[in-house]
Amino acid sequence: MERMRALRIDKEGRGGFVPPNTGYFPDLLKQEGSYRQVRIHEKGPVSGAAHGTTILAFHFRDGVLVAGDRRATASNRIMSNRVDKVLEIDDSALLAISGSPAMALEMARVLDHSLKFYRRSQLTEISLEGKVRILAQLLKENLPMAVEGIGAVVPLFVARDPATGAVRIYFYDILGAHFEGVEFSVGGSGSPEVQGILRYLDRWNPRPLREMSREEAIVLSLRLLETASYFDSATGGVDSQDPIWPVIKLLTPGTLETVDERTIAEIYRNEVMRVR
Amino acid sequence: MFDEPYRWIDAIHQRRDYIAEQLDRATPVVGISVSEGILLASFHRQNPKIYELYDRIAMGGIGHPADLETVRGILLNMAHVEGFQRSSTDVSIERLALFGLAPRLKAAFEDVSAPPIILDVLLSEVGKTGRDDRFIQVSFDGNLQRATEMMVLASTEEMEEKMTGLLRDRIPAGERTLAKVLPVVSRVFMDILFSPEELGMDESGNLLSPEKFSECESRLFEDRQWEGALQDRNAPARIKKVPYSGDKSK
Repeated sequence: MERMRALRIDKEGRGGFVPPNTGYFPDLLKQEGSYRQVRIHEKGPVSGAAHGTTILAFHFRDGVLVAGDRRATASNRIMSNRVDKVLEIDDSALLAISGSPAMALEMARVLDHSLKFYRRSQLTEISLEGKVRILAQLLKENLPMAVEGIGAVVPLFVARDPATGAVRIYFYDILGAHFEGVEFSVGGSGSPEVQGILRYLDRWNPRPLREMSREEAIVLSLRLLETASYFDSATGGVDSQDPIWPVIKLLTPGTLETVDERTIAEIYRNEVMRVR
Repeated sequence: MFDEPYRWIDAIHQRRDYIAEQLDRATPVVGISVSEGILLASFHRQNPKIYELYDRIAMGGIGHPADLETVRGILLNMAHVEGFQRSSTDVSIERLALFGLAPRLKAAFEDVSAPPIILDVLLSEVGKTGRDDRFIQVSFDGNLQRATEMMVLASTEEMEEKMTGLLRDRIPAGERTLAKVLPVVSRVFMDILFSPEELGMDESGNLLSPEKFSECESRLFEDRQWEGALQDRNAPARIKKVPYSGDKSK
């Protein structure tokens, strides 16, 4: 075992034996004291922690559409209406976050660095399953914060499989269990309505979700988010006086596109506001 | 054993000579600022010499592969932890070299009771424009050299000066694009690795025998592999491979 270890020079320039680099970035952060779990030992949910969201992902003809509203709430207070909840981890993976923004954004940051660190340290790309597992591990490590009631994170992870080029949707529970959302997945406090509509459309619409065009998919995502905001106060709608548009990203076997605000605004005005 | 100062100084001199001897056969690494970003180029026999370290930052190295790997690991760890704790824009080759690498290499070099670290390292940082591009060379003894436009990492100062001079003389005036620079870099490697006689050239550098030149180029690729990488200033989070661009016509 000793022979399997790698030589390293320490800060004083001395040689020493340390375990070889596994490419797992959270281990490095822990070694450097930069990634600690926080426990506050308070019973029940803590007021003031920001949460509430609607995020969704579904297959369409070209790939997968991922969308999210922009609102963050703490109890009955709106903390922000400009939160980006659909994050690009790299050019082949998207993370949509629901739950505690503080923990979710930190998790996204760790994941982003983890994938880059793996690629650069191991000199190879990590597999899709490897990416999915890193996020599962981060969620598992976040469990103390989740059970304290202030740090639960329930993300959607959408990534291109480098082996086949296929785009896949994964959803998680707070323990880190992950499942593939075959046709669609949703998350956040506004998700029950969205989930019901997506199930209905995919099952009984003349054409299933996977046959929708790019524009049809964008229209549907805007209508779904508008519906979620109608029922769920923690999901941000579009204020006609000061419009803040949802974030919509499209991941296909060959591209990753952020739908620009002008396109969203035009579709929203023509296909969401004026249609009865 | 080293309690008397002159013995320690003697040991350091021997150590320096030993490391220089070990580095002697290394093929140089070239870093050069172009319009598209920074081009890093070299040839290697067994182990790659050019690596991506972090967003905007890459390294090239000559020396023992195990020592290069050690140093690469230190720099990777430092860059990623710092980038995570603060911002990716706070990670710079100046900080990596000055605070991360140079003190450790100096301490390791002067610890004559331990095996020496055999390497020299070139760090490159691509900026938003060519004027922002930076190069730092860290030697096995912890010494630093800085440059902006281009930097050659070679086993001797003579080799570095010769190669830098050839590159400066031959790169066409005007905008320094990758398409213009790459053939020059490829050709300069030929002039460094082979004698004029071997290349079929006269004393003035005129090519007399294109067959001999082609033969040298074939020999070069028999035992070495080209390593070219572009740090793209528009997509600096991932280096791109650049294929060899030999020019047998000159």
